Amino acid sequence: MAESVRVLPQNIQNMMDVREWDMRTREGIQRFRELRAKSLPSVALDNELVYEAIIPGQEDLSAEIRRRYEEKNRE
Amino acid sequence: MSENERYIYRTHGVCPPEIHFQVQDGLLTEVRFVGGGCPGNARLVSRLLKGLPVEGVMELLRDIECRNETSCPDQLFKALSEARNGALHPAHSFDVYEDSQPRKSIALIGELGGRLDVLQRLVEAISRENVEISFCLGNLTGHSPANKDLLEFLRKQSVLAVQGDLDWSYSQGTEPAGFPSLDQKERDDLFLRPHLLSFQLDGKKGIAFFGEYLQRMSGFSDFDPFALEINMVSSLTQFFKDETVFPALEAMVPQFQAQIILFSQPKEWGHWQAGEANFISVGPAATARGLNWGLLGGNGEKIHFEIMQLQD
Repeated sequence: MAESVRVLPQNIQNMMDVREWDMRTREGIQRFRELRAKSLPSVALDNELVYEAIIPGQEDLSAEIRRRYEEKNRE
Repeated sequence: MSENERYIYRTHGVCPPEIHFQVQDGLLTEVRFVGGGCPGNARLVSRLLKGLPVEGVMELLRDIECRNETSCPDQLFKALSEARNGALHPAHSFDVYEDSQPRKSIALIGELGGRLDVLQRLVEAISRENVEISFCLGNLTGHSPANKDLLEFLRKQSVLAVQGDLDWSYSQGTEPAGFPSLDQKERDDLFLRPHLLSFQLDGKKGIAFFGEYLQRMSGFSDFDPFALEINMVSSLTQFFKDETVFPALEAMVPQFQAQIILFSQPKEWGHWQAGEANFISVGPAATARGLNWGLLGGNGEKIHFEIMQLQD
């Protein structure tokens, strides 16, 4: 999962800060529960659980990140 | 010398069999003579040495002899020397006892709460079954006048018992207000009991522990052996109160070291399977409906678990 984020195009990477949570740790478990996630892997964007139990495709993930970035910058 | 790590030194020639100590920033932050000796003097020495630089402490400990050409101060000197030169390694955050004998049947006893009568009846009932060994997951003690008698009885039984959260509080001298006090001997008995049992049943590795207090122990690492299992049970599933996270639990099971995970904090019986792992919550030994214990076995293919009930 983390790798699929790392290989995103640089222009997409530049739109975001990425934080990876380790589910083996109590901190990671707490974040998982805060997001009300149920399964792994999970991806949250702007504290919102967007993808769960799947690894999103590059295009899909890039499009969603870009959409959110443009929406925030419009405001 | 590792910082803020707990060291356990096995002594030679003196009354207390173990010395436990911690060092941080070159200071002796904790020292405890465990399992024997003069408890009053030992506690005084612990108080006096706490917070002192290790080098200075070692100077104070020199050339003191009691018997067997050594003394408690001399043993502490040796312990600190070995920690400093790397011959003594830090202890894990929680104590693990490994039952190395492969088992086919295990009796499980939950919270006793200081009920000696309950333990006696269960031991007798279990002895009539074809059980190889008994595990008690705690708490052993409770709001009971019989705590001491129970611990004394338990010492004579072939029951492997781990500390529950109240047991641990007693061992630390921090039991809740209003609970009956215990002698230092009984506190040391509890202190020396492990926090987690590791065992083999029918070719599968298992662990038995009480619950989440292990996570509150200083030095608990999320990467210690069996910490993952503890975290999954305690933090992720909240002792299986939250079944919505089972898919995530199942995804983590392949990283487990244990395939059988026993715990007793919820004080109710339960059995769940996620992937290759079996999770069993061990209920209290005595309820309004009577006394009960768990029979855990294996038939070479899958594990078998049954709640055994005695009528009052």
